[in-house]
Amino acid sequence: MVSVSRSFYDVFKVKPEETVGQLIYDLGNKQWNIPKLRELLETILPQKTTFDNYEVEHDFTTIGRRIMLLNARQIERGMGKERIILLAIEDITERKAIEKGLEKAHEELQELAAELKRTARAKSEFLANMSHELRTPLNSINGFSEILYDETVGPLNEKQKKYVDYVLTSGKHLLLLINQILDMSKVEAGKMKLTLSSLHMKSLLNEISLLVADMVGKKKLQMSLEIAEDLPNIDGDELKVKEILYNLLSNAVKFTPEGGKIGMRAKKNDSTGIDIVVWDTGIGIASENMGKIFEGFFRVDTPYSRITEGTGLGLSLSKKLVELHGGNLSVESKGLNRGTEVRFTLPIISRKAA
Amino acid sequence: MRNKILVVDDNKSNLVLEKDLLEVAGFEVFEAENAADGIAIARKEKPDIIIMDVRLPDMRGSEAARILRQDKETSYIPIVFVTASVMAGEKEEINAIANSGFIGKPINTRTFAKEISQFIRGKE
Repeated sequence: MVSVSRSFYDVFKVKPEETVGQLIYDLGNKQWNIPKLRELLETILPQKTTFDNYEVEHDFTTIGRRIMLLNARQIERGMGKERIILLAIEDITERKAIEKGLEKAHEELQELAAELKRTARAKSEFLANMSHELRTPLNSINGFSEILYDETVGPLNEKQKKYVDYVLTSGKHLLLLINQILDMSKVEAGKMKLTLSSLHMKSLLNEISLLVADMVGKKKLQMSLEIAEDLPNIDGDELKVKEILYNLLSNAVKFTPEGGKIGMRAKKNDSTGIDIVVWDTGIGIASENMGKIFEGFFRVDTPYSRITEGTGLGLSLSKKLVELHGGNLSVESKGLNRGTEVRFTLPIISRKAA
Repeated sequence: MRNKILVVDDNKSNLVLEKDLLEVAGFEVFEAENAADGIAIARKEKPDIIIMDVRLPDMRGSEAARILRQDKETSYIPIVFVTASVMAGEKEEINAIANSGFIGKPINTRTFAKEISQFIRGKE
């Protein structure tokens, strides 16, 4: 050893007085008598005069197991034949540990991702099975109560008729829930397929408004429609677009007290789509609840919410269906009891067109 | 002569529901709660149409349909699957069977018999 840098002493815990002038192998009570180092210095280096990035692992008595990265150059000093070796030793024990940790974390992440995929598949299989299992008894519940209600097998008295109507209404509600849950899971699993056709939006909007006219009349609400004359046709899935509009309009009806107003506006927007707004003067949404309204089954806790019927999935499903068409949906409210506006866009040419 | 119809469904109350609706509509109804019984009745009675659930206790409805199709005596009988299944795979399974139809559960009791009649008429 001709000369040694200070950090060598620090890292490998050897003293200067027992280093310079010694054979490297004898350092620290022969701790450096490492076969691989010997091979490098005595066999490889004389032939190649250089070696790069050799990893050597060794168990030192004083500092434990270390991994070192060795680089060496054999150089001639002056004109003479004296050859010295420039040996750089880098302690990469910690770096290796980090790399190993990263590798392990990566493997764990991959396992986790695979697990998530399995879970998602299990979830959608579970939902499909559950939906089948629930429909089978519902077929009897709805079917028999419909037959009773229609008095196919004999007349009912007033109370019997009313009760069986409740059974039927509840059964239909349950069926709607099952269908919407299944649709949500299909959208989430990326399995919801759109059947696109050219939709005449002006007549479609009018048609949907007629569907809710009955509910609107019963609650003595005023409904206004502002549909632009030049509203273009769009590419969309007719049933899904109708479902979106029906969900939003029936929400407007449900959450608007008697005597209030609801409405729908539709026009072509500046880019390549149409804007539709469904608005009401109803109970609105408190700002602190804004973030929660797209979570399934969220209900504002007011005395009013108890009497409103619905599955609690309509809005979030509508948002997903709008997004599936390549549009977006947002909700605005100035606050509690100050009405709600749901705006959404639908592209004229759907991005999902195959 | 009244049209003969065979209903195969392992859910007893669903079976009664379909049977009663069809009887009110004037069909002569035979019933079975599994595929093997259904196939035996089909061979004996040669119904004008068969209504079948997709998931049966002894085999899948599509398998029962294939057996019926292979038998000359029953190969011509239209089969309508009435099922609560909504999975795409099961619909494909049904589509692969010639001269068959599909009605989803829950059924519409007000139109059920008419829908079934259309499958018979479609055949003739």
